[in-house]
Amino acid sequence: MMLTLLHDNLDYLLWGNLTRGQPGGLLLTLGISLAAGMLATLGGLVGGVALCMGGPRLCRVLDTLVQILRAIPVLMLIFWCYFLLPILFGIDIPGVLTVIAALAVINAAYLSQSVKAGIDAIGDGQWRAAQALGMTRWQALRYIILPPALRAMLPSFVNQWITLLKDSSLAYVVGVAEFTFVATQINNREQVYPLQIFGLLAIGYLLLCSTLEWLGRRAGRMPA
Amino acid sequence: MKTPSLLLALTLLGTAGHALADRLDDIKKAGVLRVAAFDSNPPFGFLDAQTHQISGLDVEVAQAIAKKLQVKLELVATNPANRIPLLVAGKADLVAANFTVTDERKKQVDFSLPYFASGQQFIARKGSLSKPEQLAGLRVGVDKGTTQEIYLREKYSKTTVVAYDDTPLAFTALRNGNVQAISQDGSKLAALLANAPDKAKYELAPFTLTREYQAIGLPKGEARLTKTVNDTLVELEKSGQARKIYDRWFGPKTKAPLPRDFKIGDAA
Repeated sequence: MMLTLLHDNLDYLLWGNLTRGQPGGLLLTLGISLAAGMLATLGGLVGGVALCMGGPRLCRVLDTLVQILRAIPVLMLIFWCYFLLPILFGIDIPGVLTVIAALAVINAAYLSQSVKAGIDAIGDGQWRAAQALGMTRWQALRYIILPPALRAMLPSFVNQWITLLKDSSLAYVVGVAEFTFVATQINNREQVYPLQIFGLLAIGYLLLCSTLEWLGRRAGRMPA
Repeated sequence: MKTPSLLLALTLLGTAGHALADRLDDIKKAGVLRVAAFDSNPPFGFLDAQTHQISGLDVEVAQAIAKKLQVKLELVATNPANRIPLLVAGKADLVAANFTVTDERKKQVDFSLPYFASGQQFIARKGSLSKPEQLAGLRVGVDKGTTQEIYLREKYSKTTVVAYDDTPLAFTALRNGNVQAISQDGSKLAALLANAPDKAKYELAPFTLTREYQAIGLPKGEARLTKTVNDTLVELEKSGQARKIYDRWFGPKTKAPLPRDFKIGDAA
């Protein structure tokens, strides 16, 4: 029975209706997480550097933005973007893009704080030594501060990426057919195998997250 | 997620108003009719095991409307609670998801002629529920945002209502003992029970609380689209196609036979 269950549904769980041009399941979860993760990392880096290097006014604006974003549940942001943006402004964003954007923005806010903390953690002496060598502030940041700072930030980045990957399951609220959503669909049809289906789901997420963790640890050991 | 308050917010925002061209023209121009259908409520809308596509009675009605409009049908998977938000936000042109007509909902969306009728019934362990009076003190599972939830909360204050995302999930709760009964349209429950591998342990309680009509949900104020949908439904009945669709899912040869006691046009 477990074998038939697997045989009938595994392809749908893994990549949805890919053959009909509608990727779903684990594949879509991966795609959403990758896209949102890259955007969030970029946003977090830019935001964090701006928090350290920007003037007081820019910092105040960014700080407020980060505070607001950190105070909003991801689920609500997704719901907002999907159902309320069209009503308020007539902007219609497809479900998948809504989820990517919401996850990217919120995680960028969190990451910018990690980046700022990582840069702050490098001693003042390093900045002064770089300037004594005739470097500008930006040169000092690029060549002296960021290399060790980034390495120190890596664990919090991996943390955030894992959170993001798991949060992608919230896409169900707007009917995006990611991993959790298709598992629920299958469970609703098969009815009596929730343990097996959601067990498989847990294994899927566990594999994804531990791979990410392993990659993070390997990257942490690499020479700069 | 608190559905009522979200719905309220959506309605308030919706009344703020936004100028849109006639939806019927938009659909024809796009060449696509976007219809919200259930993906977890056999036989109205469910994920077909072989094709992995949404199919069912509601989907066949939607197909007929798309054919009449001569456009492609695009299905948007929905659960009960998302039906009105999808329409109000313009994410779907129509809702064909066992959508019961109520006065409350008419404030936010328009309805076509009803194309299905049923009543609120219950599934419970065999022999455990035989009359409505027994509902007092029971924990009853319902689908979030359905008429059954509202009715039970209003009329059966001694019953504890537990709301789930969809009916199969409520059934899982019944199996696990989280609730002692679940409530939905009788037709939906009959089909759900027929498909359940462990159906021998459960039964449809032998009473019906209400008479309800299901129709296609439309955005407010789209008179031409509403007329096209109504015309299609009337034609379906006239040509005998409506009966054929019904028989395919509830006819004598199906897993959950249910005599057809309602024709399109019987109720407005």
